[in-house]
Amino acid sequence: MQCDHCDSKATVFFTQIIGGSSKKSCLCEKCACENGVTDPEGFVSDDEELSSISEQAASAVEVPQPPMAAIQTAPKDPSSHLCPDCGFAFDDLKKTGRLGCSQCYQFFREEIKLNLEGMHKDTCHVGRVPAGMMEAFQNRQKIEKLEQEKAEAIAAEDYEKAGALHEKIEKLSAGLPTDGASISTDS
Amino acid sequence: MMRFSTLLKHPADWMIGADSDSAVVLTSRIRLARNISETPFPGWARKSERIDILSGLLPAIEGLPEMKDAFSHQLSELTSVQKQVLVERHLISREQAARSEGSATVVNRAQTLSVMINEEDHLRLQSIRSGLHLQEAYDLITSVDEQLEKDLLYAFDHELGYLTACPTNLGTGLRASAMLHLPGLVISDHIGQVIQGIGKLGLAVRGIFGEGTESLGHLFQISNQSTLGESEQKIISRLERVIRKVRDHERNARLKLIEDDPQMIADKIARAYGLLKYAYVIDSKEALTHLSLIRLGSDMGCFPKEETLQLCDSLLMDIEPAHLQHHAKRKLTPEERDILRAKIIRSRLQNLPSPVISFL
Repeated sequence: MQCDHCDSKATVFFTQIIGGSSKKSCLCEKCACENGVTDPEGFVSDDEELSSISEQAASAVEVPQPPMAAIQTAPKDPSSHLCPDCGFAFDDLKKTGRLGCSQCYQFFREEIKLNLEGMHKDTCHVGRVPAGMMEAFQNRQKIEKLEQEKAEAIAAEDYEKAGALHEKIEKLSAGLPTDGASISTDS
Repeated sequence: MMRFSTLLKHPADWMIGADSDSAVVLTSRIRLARNISETPFPGWARKSERIDILSGLLPAIEGLPEMKDAFSHQLSELTSVQKQVLVERHLISREQAARSEGSATVVNRAQTLSVMINEEDHLRLQSIRSGLHLQEAYDLITSVDEQLEKDLLYAFDHELGYLTACPTNLGTGLRASAMLHLPGLVISDHIGQVIQGIGKLGLAVRGIFGEGTESLGHLFQISNQSTLGESEQKIISRLERVIRKVRDHERNARLKLIEDDPQMIADKIARAYGLLKYAYVIDSKEALTHLSLIRLGSDMGCFPKEETLQLCDSLLMDIEPAHLQHHAKRKLTPEERDILRAKIIRSRLQNLPSPVISFL
Protein backbone atom coordinates (compact mmCIF):
# COMPACT_ATOMS: atom_id res chain seq x y z
CA MET A 1 0.00 0.00 0.00
CA GLN A 2 1.21 3.47 -0.93
CA CYS A 3 1.80 6.41 1.40
CA ASP A 4 -0.96 9.06 1.26
CA HIS A 5 1.64 11.81 0.81
CA CYS A 6 4.37 10.37 -1.40
CA ASP A 7 5.08 7.31 -3.53
CA SER A 8 6.91 5.32 -0.86
CA LYS A 9 5.54 2.18 0.72
CA ALA A 10 3.27 2.93 3.65
CA THR A 11 4.34 1.33 6.91
CA VAL A 12 2.44 3.43 9.43
CA PHE A 13 -1.33 3.05 9.54
CA PHE A 14 -3.26 5.48 11.61
CA THR A 15 -7.03 5.53 12.17
CA GLN A 16 -8.48 8.59 13.82
CA ILE A 17 -12.01 8.58 15.16
CA ILE A 18 -13.39 11.97 16.03
CA GLY A 19 -17.07 12.36 16.86
CA GLY A 20 -18.86 9.93 14.64
CA SER A 21 -16.45 9.83 11.71
CA SER A 22 -13.28 7.86 11.25
CA LYS A 23 -10.38 8.75 9.00
CA LYS A 24 -7.75 6.32 7.88
CA SER A 25 -4.22 7.43 7.03
CA CYS A 26 -1.52 5.34 5.45
CA LEU A 27 1.93 6.88 5.75
CA CYS A 28 5.54 6.02 5.11
CA GLU A 29 8.00 6.40 7.98
CA LYS A 30 9.27 9.77 6.76
CA CYS A 31 5.84 11.37 6.20
CA ALA A 32 4.63 9.92 9.48
CA CYS A 33 7.40 11.74 11.33
CA GLU A 34 6.75 14.95 9.41
CA ASN A 35 3.07 14.78 10.26
CA GLY A 36 3.70 14.27 13.92
CA VAL A 37 2.80 10.59 14.02
CA THR A 38 6.09 9.80 15.68
CA ASP A 39 5.07 7.23 18.20
CA PRO A 40 2.58 4.79 16.75
CA GLU A 41 2.26 3.09 20.13
CA GLY A 42 1.04 6.39 21.53
CA PHE A 43 -2.07 6.23 19.44
CA VAL A 44 -3.06 2.73 20.36
CA SER A 45 -4.28 3.63 23.74
CA ASP A 46 -6.22 1.70 26.28
CA ASP A 47 -7.49 4.99 27.57
CA GLU A 48 -11.11 4.40 28.46
CA GLU A 49 -12.39 7.65 27.12
CA LEU A 50 -10.84 7.03 23.75
CA SER A 51 -12.18 3.53 23.41
CA SER A 52 -15.65 4.60 24.45
CA ILE A 53 -15.59 7.28 21.76
CA SER A 54 -14.55 4.79 19.14
CA GLU A 55 -17.26 2.43 20.30
CA GLN A 56 -19.84 5.16 19.97
CA ALA A 57 -18.53 5.86 16.51
CA ALA A 58 -18.82 2.22 15.63
CA SER A 59 -22.37 1.96 16.86
CA ALA A 60 -23.30 5.09 14.93
CA VAL A 61 -22.26 3.46 11.67
CA GLU A 62 -25.04 1.31 10.44
CA VAL A 63 -23.79 -2.11 9.46
CA PRO A 64 -26.39 -3.58 7.11
CA GLN A 65 -25.37 -7.15 7.74
CA PRO A 66 -25.22 -7.99 11.42
CA PRO A 67 -21.68 -9.12 12.12
CA MET A 68 -20.98 -12.44 13.75
CA ALA A 69 -22.34 -12.28 17.25
CA ALA A 70 -19.22 -13.01 19.19
CA ILE A 71 -15.85 -12.95 17.55
CA GLN A 72 -13.19 -14.46 19.71
CA THR A 73 -9.85 -12.81 19.69
CA ALA A 74 -6.61 -14.37 20.70
CA PRO A 75 -5.10 -12.35 23.54
CA LYS A 76 -2.29 -10.55 21.81
CA ASP A 77 -0.74 -7.15 21.90
CA PRO A 78 -3.29 -5.06 19.97
CA SER A 79 -0.67 -2.74 18.51
CA SER A 80 0.91 -5.65 16.62
CA HIS A 81 -2.51 -6.66 15.36
CA LEU A 82 -2.61 -4.74 12.13
CA CYS A 83 -2.50 -6.36 8.71
CA PRO A 84 0.87 -5.30 7.29
CA ASP A 85 -0.63 -5.22 3.81
CA CYS A 86 -3.66 -3.01 4.32
CA GLY A 87 -3.43 -1.73 7.89
CA PHE A 88 -6.69 -3.30 9.01
CA ALA A 89 -6.92 -3.85 12.77
CA PHE A 90 -8.14 -7.33 13.61
CA ASP A 91 -10.22 -6.00 16.48
CA ASP A 92 -12.35 -4.07 13.98
CA LEU A 93 -13.70 -7.36 12.66
CA LYS A 94 -15.89 -7.43 15.77
CA LYS A 95 -17.39 -4.07 14.87
CA THR A 96 -17.79 -4.40 11.14
CA GLY A 97 -17.92 -8.16 10.59
CA ARG A 98 -15.50 -7.67 7.70
CA LEU A 99 -11.80 -7.83 7.02
CA GLY A 100 -9.61 -5.36 5.14
CA CYS A 101 -8.12 -7.42 2.32
CA SER A 102 -7.46 -11.01 1.26
CA GLN A 103 -4.01 -10.90 2.91
CA CYS A 104 -5.70 -10.32 6.29
CA TYR A 105 -6.57 -14.03 6.15
CA GLN A 106 -2.85 -14.84 6.07
CA PHE A 107 -1.98 -12.65 9.03
CA PHE A 108 -4.98 -13.39 11.20
CA ARG A 109 -5.45 -16.98 10.04
CA GLU A 110 -5.40 -18.62 13.45
CA GLU A 111 -7.72 -16.07 15.07
CA ILE A 112 -10.16 -16.32 12.19
CA LYS A 113 -10.12 -20.10 12.26
CA LEU A 114 -11.19 -19.98 15.91
CA ASN A 115 -14.44 -18.40 14.78
CA LEU A 116 -15.22 -20.55 11.77
CA GLU A 117 -16.43 -23.66 13.52
CA GLY A 118 -19.82 -22.40 14.64
CA MET A 119 -20.23 -20.52 11.40
CA HIS A 120 -19.60 -23.18 8.77
CA LYS A 121 -19.96 -26.91 8.14
CA ASP A 122 -16.22 -27.36 8.28
CA THR A 123 -13.09 -25.26 8.36
CA CYS A 124 -11.50 -26.53 5.17
CA HIS A 125 -12.62 -25.66 1.65
CA VAL A 126 -14.28 -28.27 -0.52
CA GLY A 127 -15.49 -27.37 -3.99
CA ARG A 128 -14.49 -25.24 -6.93
CA VAL A 129 -10.94 -24.02 -7.34
CA PRO A 130 -9.98 -21.32 -9.86
CA ALA A 131 -8.46 -22.73 -13.05
CA GLY A 132 -4.70 -22.93 -12.82
CA MET A 133 -4.75 -23.41 -9.06
CA MET A 134 -6.24 -26.89 -9.21
CA GLU A 135 -3.04 -28.91 -9.40
CA ALA A 136 -1.40 -27.11 -6.52
CA PHE A 137 -4.62 -27.39 -4.54
CA GLN A 138 -4.83 -31.15 -4.99
CA ASN A 139 -1.14 -31.56 -4.24
CA ARG A 140 -1.58 -29.64 -1.04
CA GLN A 141 -4.45 -31.86 0.00
CA LYS A 142 -2.44 -35.02 -0.77
CA ILE A 143 0.45 -33.73 1.32
CA GLU A 144 -1.84 -32.98 4.23
CA LYS A 145 -3.22 -36.51 4.07
CA LEU A 146 0.27 -38.03 3.93
CA GLU A 147 1.42 -35.86 6.84
CA GLN A 148 -1.42 -37.26 8.87
CA GLU A 149 -0.54 -40.83 7.92
CA LYS A 150 3.07 -40.11 8.78
CA ALA A 151 2.11 -38.84 12.22
CA GLU A 152 0.04 -41.96 12.76
CA ALA A 153 2.94 -44.18 11.66
CA ILE A 154 5.27 -42.40 14.07
CA ALA A 155 2.77 -42.78 16.88
CA ALA A 156 2.61 -46.50 16.08
CA GLU A 157 6.43 -46.56 16.00
CA ASP A 158 6.36 -47.79 12.40
CA TYR A 159 9.42 -45.76 11.42
CA GLU A 160 9.96 -47.56 8.13
CA LYS A 161 6.52 -46.51 6.93
CA ALA A 162 7.03 -43.02 8.31
CA GLY A 163 10.28 -42.73 6.38
CA ALA A 164 8.66 -43.81 3.13
CA LEU A 165 5.84 -41.35 3.65
CA HIS A 166 8.35 -38.62 4.41
CA GLU A 167 10.02 -39.22 1.05
CA LYS A 168 6.70 -39.05 -0.75
CA ILE A 169 5.88 -35.77 0.96
CA GLU A 170 9.27 -34.33 0.00
CA LYS A 171 8.67 -35.23 -3.64
CA LEU A 172 5.22 -33.70 -3.72
CA SER A 173 6.41 -30.58 -1.92
CA ALA A 174 9.10 -30.05 -4.55
CA GLY A 175 6.39 -29.39 -7.09
CA LEU A 176 4.80 -26.67 -5.01
CA PRO A 177 5.55 -22.96 -4.94
CA THR A 178 8.35 -22.22 -2.47
CA ASP A 179 6.12 -20.33 -0.07
CA GLY A 180 5.14 -23.04 2.33
CA ALA A 181 2.27 -21.19 3.92
CA SER A 182 -0.10 -20.80 1.07
CA ILE A 183 -0.67 -20.90 -2.64
CA SER A 184 -3.50 -18.52 -2.21
CA THR A 185 -3.01 -15.13 -3.63
CA ASP A 186 0.50 -15.13 -5.02
CA SER A 187 1.75 -15.86 -8.53
CA MET B 1 -26.46 0.01 -23.73
CA MET B 2 -29.78 -0.81 -22.12
CA ARG B 3 -31.60 2.18 -20.64
CA PHE B 4 -33.24 2.29 -17.23
CA SER B 5 -36.67 2.78 -18.79
CA THR B 6 -36.17 -0.26 -21.04
CA LEU B 7 -35.15 -2.34 -18.06
CA LEU B 8 -38.29 -1.27 -16.25
CA LYS B 9 -40.66 -1.81 -19.14
CA HIS B 10 -39.61 -5.40 -19.68
CA PRO B 11 -39.61 -7.27 -16.41
CA ALA B 12 -37.80 -10.61 -16.42
CA ASP B 13 -39.79 -13.83 -16.75
CA TRP B 14 -38.90 -14.68 -13.16
CA MET B 15 -40.40 -11.42 -11.90
CA ILE B 16 -43.85 -12.17 -13.26
CA GLY B 17 -44.11 -15.85 -12.39
CA ALA B 18 -43.86 -17.13 -15.95
CA ASP B 19 -42.83 -20.57 -14.76
CA SER B 20 -45.86 -22.85 -14.55
CA ASP B 21 -44.50 -24.38 -11.38
CA SER B 22 -44.20 -21.14 -9.43
CA ALA B 23 -47.35 -21.44 -7.31
CA VAL B 24 -45.21 -22.18 -4.24
CA VAL B 25 -41.59 -21.55 -5.27
CA LEU B 26 -41.50 -18.17 -6.99
CA THR B 27 -37.80 -17.86 -7.74
CA SER B 28 -34.41 -19.54 -7.35
CA ARG B 29 -31.28 -17.48 -6.93
CA ILE B 30 -27.55 -18.22 -6.84
CA ARG B 31 -24.97 -15.69 -5.74
CA LEU B 32 -21.18 -16.00 -5.80
CA ALA B 33 -18.84 -13.69 -3.89
CA ARG B 34 -15.44 -13.13 -5.50
CA ASN B 35 -12.54 -10.83 -4.74
CA ILE B 36 -9.40 -9.74 -6.49
CA SER B 37 -6.18 -10.84 -4.87
CA GLU B 38 -4.04 -8.37 -2.92
CA THR B 39 -6.47 -5.51 -3.23
CA PRO B 40 -8.35 -4.07 -0.26
CA PHE B 41 -11.98 -5.13 0.02
CA PRO B 42 -14.46 -2.41 -1.04
CA GLY B 43 -15.47 -1.56 2.54
CA TRP B 44 -11.86 -0.90 3.56
CA ALA B 45 -10.50 0.51 0.29
CA ARG B 46 -10.22 4.25 -0.09
CA LYS B 47 -12.43 5.95 -2.65
CA SER B 48 -9.58 6.29 -5.16
CA GLU B 49 -8.76 2.60 -4.74
CA ARG B 50 -12.40 1.63 -5.26
CA ILE B 51 -12.54 3.68 -8.43
CA ASP B 52 -9.36 1.95 -9.67
CA ILE B 53 -10.79 -1.49 -8.88
CA LEU B 54 -14.01 -0.62 -10.66
CA SER B 55 -12.27 0.61 -13.78
CA GLY B 56 -10.31 -2.63 -13.88
CA LEU B 57 -13.35 -4.87 -13.43
CA LEU B 58 -16.01 -3.10 -15.48
CA PRO B 59 -14.55 -3.93 -18.94
CA ALA B 60 -14.22 -7.61 -17.93
CA ILE B 61 -17.89 -7.75 -16.92
CA GLU B 62 -19.23 -5.72 -19.82
CA GLY B 63 -17.13 -7.84 -22.19
CA LEU B 64 -18.90 -11.07 -21.23
CA PRO B 65 -21.00 -12.43 -24.12
CA GLU B 66 -23.88 -12.82 -21.62
CA MET B 67 -23.72 -9.07 -21.02
CA LYS B 68 -24.22 -7.97 -24.63
CA ASP B 69 -26.24 -4.71 -24.63
CA ALA B 70 -26.54 -4.95 -20.86
CA PHE B 71 -27.80 -2.41 -18.38
CA SER B 72 -24.58 -1.06 -16.92
CA HIS B 73 -24.44 1.88 -14.56
CA GLN B 74 -22.30 3.27 -11.82
CA LEU B 75 -24.31 3.77 -8.67
CA SER B 76 -23.33 7.45 -8.71
CA GLU B 77 -25.23 7.88 -11.99
CA LEU B 78 -28.52 6.61 -10.57
CA THR B 79 -31.08 8.59 -8.57
CA SER B 80 -32.09 7.27 -5.17
CA VAL B 81 -35.50 6.23 -6.55
CA GLN B 82 -33.84 4.32 -9.41
CA LYS B 83 -31.54 2.54 -6.95
CA GLN B 84 -34.50 1.64 -4.78
CA VAL B 85 -36.40 0.31 -7.81
CA LEU B 86 -33.46 -2.01 -8.54
CA VAL B 87 -33.53 -3.20 -4.92
CA GLU B 88 -37.27 -3.85 -5.12
CA ARG B 89 -36.57 -5.92 -8.24
CA HIS B 90 -33.87 -7.86 -6.39
CA LEU B 91 -31.29 -6.81 -8.98
CA ILE B 92 -29.06 -5.04 -6.46
CA SER B 93 -28.82 -5.29 -2.69
CA ARG B 94 -29.80 -2.67 -0.15
CA GLU B 95 -26.14 -2.46 0.75
CA GLN B 96 -25.16 -1.57 -2.78
CA ALA B 97 -27.97 0.98 -3.08
CA ALA B 98 -26.30 2.86 -0.22
CA ARG B 99 -23.12 3.23 -2.27
CA SER B 100 -22.32 5.75 -4.94
CA GLU B 101 -18.92 6.43 -6.44
CA GLY B 102 -16.70 3.45 -7.23
CA SER B 103 -19.55 0.97 -7.37
CA ALA B 104 -21.46 -0.29 -10.39
CA THR B 105 -24.11 -2.75 -11.42
CA VAL B 106 -24.39 -4.67 -14.68
CA VAL B 107 -27.59 -6.53 -15.56
CA ASN B 108 -28.10 -8.63 -18.68
CA ARG B 109 -31.04 -7.87 -21.01
CA ALA B 110 -33.12 -10.81 -19.80
CA GLN B 111 -32.44 -9.69 -16.19
CA THR B 112 -31.48 -13.22 -15.24
CA LEU B 113 -27.88 -12.30 -14.50
CA SER B 114 -26.61 -9.37 -12.51
CA VAL B 115 -23.15 -8.41 -11.35
CA MET B 116 -22.56 -5.99 -8.51
CA ILE B 117 -19.10 -4.45 -8.52
CA ASN B 118 -17.74 -3.18 -5.20
CA GLU B 119 -20.62 -4.09 -3.01
CA GLU B 120 -19.38 -5.91 0.12
CA ASP B 121 -17.00 -7.88 -2.11
CA HIS B 122 -15.32 -6.81 -5.35
CA LEU B 123 -17.71 -9.00 -7.30
CA ARG B 124 -21.10 -10.39 -6.50
CA LEU B 125 -22.38 -12.53 -9.37
CA GLN B 126 -26.05 -13.33 -9.22
CA SER B 127 -28.38 -15.41 -11.33
CA ILE B 128 -32.16 -15.70 -10.88
CA ARG B 129 -34.67 -18.13 -12.38
CA SER B 130 -38.39 -18.51 -11.85
CA GLY B 131 -39.63 -21.66 -10.12
CA LEU B 132 -37.34 -24.14 -8.43
CA HIS B 133 -34.34 -24.17 -10.76
CA LEU B 134 -31.27 -23.70 -8.61
CA GLN B 135 -29.09 -25.92 -10.78
CA GLU B 136 -29.85 -23.92 -13.93
CA ALA B 137 -29.06 -20.71 -12.12
CA TYR B 138 -25.81 -22.23 -10.86
CA ASP B 139 -24.80 -23.41 -14.33
CA LEU B 140 -25.21 -19.91 -15.76
CA ILE B 141 -23.26 -18.27 -12.96
CA THR B 142 -20.47 -20.87 -13.16
CA SER B 143 -19.96 -20.30 -16.86
CA VAL B 144 -19.61 -16.58 -16.13
CA ASP B 145 -17.23 -17.30 -13.24
CA GLU B 146 -15.08 -19.55 -15.45
CA GLN B 147 -14.77 -16.85 -18.08
CA LEU B 148 -13.84 -14.23 -15.50
CA GLU B 149 -11.22 -16.32 -13.72
CA LYS B 150 -9.22 -16.49 -16.96
CA ASP B 151 -8.57 -12.76 -16.81
CA LEU B 152 -8.87 -11.95 -13.13
CA LEU B 153 -6.67 -13.17 -10.32
CA TYR B 154 -9.14 -14.20 -7.65
CA ALA B 155 -8.22 -14.19 -3.98
CA PHE B 156 -8.17 -17.89 -3.15
CA ASP B 157 -6.65 -19.90 -0.34
CA HIS B 158 -6.05 -23.65 -0.31
CA GLU B 159 -7.63 -23.97 3.11
CA LEU B 160 -10.27 -21.24 3.22
CA GLY B 161 -11.31 -21.29 -0.45
CA TYR B 162 -12.48 -18.07 -2.07
CA LEU B 163 -11.60 -15.23 0.29
CA THR B 164 -14.40 -12.81 1.07
CA ALA B 165 -14.72 -9.57 3.03
CA CYS B 166 -16.92 -11.30 5.58
CA PRO B 167 -15.77 -14.70 6.94
CA THR B 168 -19.39 -15.92 6.75
CA ASN B 169 -18.99 -16.21 2.95
CA LEU B 170 -15.62 -18.01 2.85
CA GLY B 171 -15.07 -21.23 0.91
CA THR B 172 -17.42 -21.46 -2.03
CA GLY B 173 -18.68 -17.89 -1.65
CA LEU B 174 -21.99 -19.37 -2.69
CA ARG B 175 -25.40 -18.38 -1.41
CA ALA B 176 -28.27 -20.32 -2.92
CA SER B 177 -31.78 -19.23 -2.09
CA ALA B 178 -35.37 -19.64 -3.11
CA MET B 179 -38.41 -17.46 -2.53
CA LEU B 180 -41.42 -19.40 -1.33
CA HIS B 181 -45.06 -18.42 -0.96
CA LEU B 182 -46.36 -20.19 2.15
CA PRO B 183 -49.86 -18.90 3.01
CA GLY B 184 -51.12 -22.43 3.74
CA LEU B 185 -48.52 -22.97 6.45
CA VAL B 186 -49.05 -19.48 7.88
CA ILE B 187 -52.86 -19.73 8.02
CA SER B 188 -52.81 -23.24 9.48
CA ASP B 189 -50.22 -22.02 12.01
CA HIS B 190 -47.57 -24.58 11.10
CA ILE B 191 -45.03 -22.06 9.83
CA GLY B 192 -43.23 -21.81 13.18
CA GLN B 193 -42.48 -25.51 13.24
CA VAL B 194 -41.29 -25.47 9.64
CA ILE B 195 -38.99 -22.48 10.24
CA GLN B 196 -37.56 -24.16 13.31
CA GLY B 197 -36.97 -27.38 11.42
CA ILE B 198 -35.20 -25.55 8.60
CA GLY B 199 -33.05 -23.74 11.15
CA LYS B 200 -31.96 -27.02 12.68
CA LEU B 201 -30.68 -28.12 9.27
CA GLY B 202 -28.36 -25.12 9.24
CA LEU B 203 -30.39 -23.20 6.68
CA ALA B 204 -31.76 -19.69 7.07
CA VAL B 205 -35.32 -18.41 6.63
CA ARG B 206 -35.85 -14.72 6.04
CA GLY B 207 -38.37 -12.20 4.74
CA ILE B 208 -38.41 -11.23 1.07
CA PHE B 209 -35.71 -8.57 1.17
CA GLY B 210 -33.13 -10.73 2.87
CA GLU B 211 -31.37 -10.34 6.16
CA GLY B 212 -33.30 -8.54 8.87
CA THR B 213 -36.51 -8.09 6.92
CA GLU B 214 -39.86 -9.35 8.15
CA SER B 215 -42.01 -11.66 6.15
CA LEU B 216 -44.68 -9.84 4.16
CA GLY B 217 -47.30 -11.39 1.94
CA HIS B 218 -46.50 -14.87 3.33
CA LEU B 219 -43.26 -14.79 1.35
CA PHE B 220 -40.15 -16.46 2.74
CA GLN B 221 -36.61 -16.83 1.53
CA ILE B 222 -34.73 -20.02 2.36
CA SER B 223 -30.97 -20.12 1.89
CA ASN B 224 -27.80 -21.91 2.95
CA GLN B 225 -25.85 -20.41 5.86
CA SER B 226 -22.61 -22.33 5.65
CA THR B 227 -20.39 -21.74 2.63
CA LEU B 228 -17.21 -23.49 3.78
CA GLY B 229 -16.56 -27.21 4.02
CA GLU B 230 -19.25 -28.33 1.61
CA SER B 231 -19.05 -28.35 -2.18
CA GLU B 232 -21.29 -26.19 -4.36
CA GLN B 233 -23.17 -29.23 -5.60
CA LYS B 234 -23.78 -30.49 -2.08
CA ILE B 235 -25.00 -27.11 -0.87
CA ILE B 236 -27.41 -26.86 -3.79
CA SER B 237 -28.75 -30.39 -3.62
CA ARG B 238 -29.22 -30.21 0.15
CA LEU B 239 -31.07 -26.90 -0.14
CA GLU B 240 -33.16 -28.18 -3.02
CA ARG B 241 -34.19 -31.24 -1.03
CA VAL B 242 -35.34 -29.08 1.86
CA ILE B 243 -37.20 -26.69 -0.43
CA ARG B 244 -39.03 -29.60 -2.07
CA LYS B 245 -40.05 -30.79 1.39
CA VAL B 246 -41.31 -27.35 2.41
CA ARG B 247 -43.17 -27.13 -0.91
CA ASP B 248 -44.86 -30.46 -0.20
CA HIS B 249 -45.77 -29.30 3.31
CA GLU B 250 -47.30 -26.15 1.86
CA ARG B 251 -49.28 -28.14 -0.69
CA ASN B 252 -50.58 -30.45 2.02
CA ALA B 253 -51.46 -27.49 4.22
CA ARG B 254 -53.49 -25.98 1.37
CA LEU B 255 -55.38 -29.23 0.80
CA LYS B 256 -56.01 -29.60 4.50
CA LEU B 257 -57.38 -26.05 4.77
CA ILE B 258 -59.90 -26.83 2.03
CA GLU B 259 -60.81 -30.06 3.73
CA ASP B 260 -61.02 -28.81 7.32
CA ASP B 261 -62.35 -25.30 7.00
CA PRO B 262 -63.52 -24.50 3.46
CA GLN B 263 -65.83 -21.67 4.64
CA MET B 264 -63.00 -19.85 6.38
CA ILE B 265 -60.61 -20.08 3.43
CA ALA B 266 -63.32 -19.13 0.90
CA ASP B 267 -64.19 -16.14 3.05
CA LYS B 268 -60.57 -15.01 3.24
CA ILE B 269 -60.05 -15.25 -0.52
CA ALA B 270 -63.32 -13.57 -1.45
CA ARG B 271 -62.80 -10.76 1.07
CA ALA B 272 -59.29 -10.17 -0.23
CA TYR B 273 -60.73 -9.89 -3.73
CA GLY B 274 -63.39 -7.43 -2.62
CA LEU B 275 -60.98 -5.36 -0.59
CA LEU B 276 -58.33 -5.03 -3.29
CA LYS B 277 -60.90 -4.38 -5.99
CA TYR B 278 -62.65 -1.56 -4.13
CA ALA B 279 -60.03 0.01 -1.85
CA TYR B 280 -59.06 3.66 -2.36
CA VAL B 281 -56.28 3.82 0.25
CA ILE B 282 -54.09 0.81 1.01
CA ASP B 283 -50.69 0.47 2.63
CA SER B 284 -48.02 -1.93 1.47
CA LYS B 285 -48.51 -4.50 4.21
CA GLU B 286 -52.27 -4.75 3.74
CA ALA B 287 -51.90 -4.96 -0.03
CA LEU B 288 -49.29 -7.73 0.16
CA THR B 289 -51.36 -9.74 2.62
CA HIS B 290 -54.42 -9.65 0.38
CA LEU B 291 -52.50 -10.21 -2.84
CA SER B 292 -51.10 -13.29 -1.15
CA LEU B 293 -54.64 -14.59 -0.67
CA ILE B 294 -55.51 -13.92 -4.32
CA ARG B 295 -52.37 -15.83 -5.25
CA LEU B 296 -53.46 -18.68 -2.98
CA GLY B 297 -56.95 -18.54 -4.50
CA SER B 298 -55.57 -18.88 -8.01
CA ASP B 299 -53.84 -22.09 -6.95
CA MET B 300 -57.10 -23.36 -5.40
CA GLY B 301 -58.99 -22.86 -8.64
CA CYS B 302 -60.84 -19.67 -7.64
CA PHE B 303 -59.25 -17.59 -10.43
CA PRO B 304 -57.72 -18.42 -13.81
CA LYS B 305 -54.41 -19.79 -12.53
CA GLU B 306 -51.55 -18.75 -14.82
CA GLU B 307 -52.64 -15.21 -15.54
CA THR B 308 -53.58 -14.51 -11.93
CA LEU B 309 -50.19 -15.70 -10.68
CA GLN B 310 -48.54 -13.38 -13.18
CA LEU B 311 -50.86 -10.54 -12.20
CA CYS B 312 -50.04 -10.98 -8.51
CA ASP B 313 -46.29 -11.29 -9.01
CA SER B 314 -45.99 -8.19 -11.16
CA LEU B 315 -48.17 -6.29 -8.69
CA LEU B 316 -45.93 -7.38 -5.81
CA MET B 317 -43.19 -5.28 -7.41
CA ASP B 318 -45.23 -2.46 -8.87
CA ILE B 319 -46.82 -1.43 -5.58
CA GLU B 320 -43.50 -1.09 -3.74
CA PRO B 321 -42.67 2.49 -2.68
CA ALA B 322 -39.94 3.23 -5.25
CA HIS B 323 -41.88 1.66 -8.11
CA LEU B 324 -44.83 3.90 -7.23
CA GLN B 325 -42.64 7.01 -7.16
CA HIS B 326 -41.06 6.04 -10.43
CA HIS B 327 -44.54 5.61 -11.88
CA ALA B 328 -45.64 9.02 -10.55
CA LYS B 329 -42.34 10.58 -11.70
CA ARG B 330 -42.04 12.42 -8.39
CA LYS B 331 -41.49 11.89 -4.70
CA LEU B 332 -44.66 10.78 -2.91
CA THR B 333 -45.60 11.01 0.73
CA PRO B 334 -46.64 7.71 2.35
CA GLU B 335 -50.30 8.85 2.18
CA GLU B 336 -50.00 9.63 -1.53
CA ARG B 337 -48.39 6.26 -2.10
CA ASP B 338 -51.28 4.47 -0.39
CA ILE B 339 -53.72 6.22 -2.72
CA LEU B 340 -51.73 5.50 -5.88
CA ARG B 341 -51.17 1.90 -4.76
CA ALA B 342 -54.93 1.35 -4.39
CA LYS B 343 -55.56 2.95 -7.77
CA ILE B 344 -53.05 0.72 -9.57
CA ILE B 345 -54.42 -2.41 -7.89
CA ARG B 346 -58.01 -1.46 -8.78
CA SER B 347 -57.13 -0.96 -12.40
CA ARG B 348 -55.15 -4.20 -12.68
CA LEU B 349 -57.92 -6.20 -11.04
CA GLN B 350 -60.59 -4.72 -13.24
CA ASN B 351 -60.71 -7.74 -15.52
CA LEU B 352 -60.21 -10.35 -12.84
CA PRO B 353 -63.52 -12.28 -12.54
CA SER B 354 -65.01 -12.73 -9.09
CA PRO B 355 -63.79 -15.86 -7.31
CA VAL B 356 -65.36 -19.20 -8.16
CA ILE B 357 -65.43 -21.27 -4.99
CA SER B 358 -65.70 -24.81 -6.28
CA PHE B 359 -64.56 -26.56 -3.12
CA LEU B 360 -67.61 -25.68 -1.04
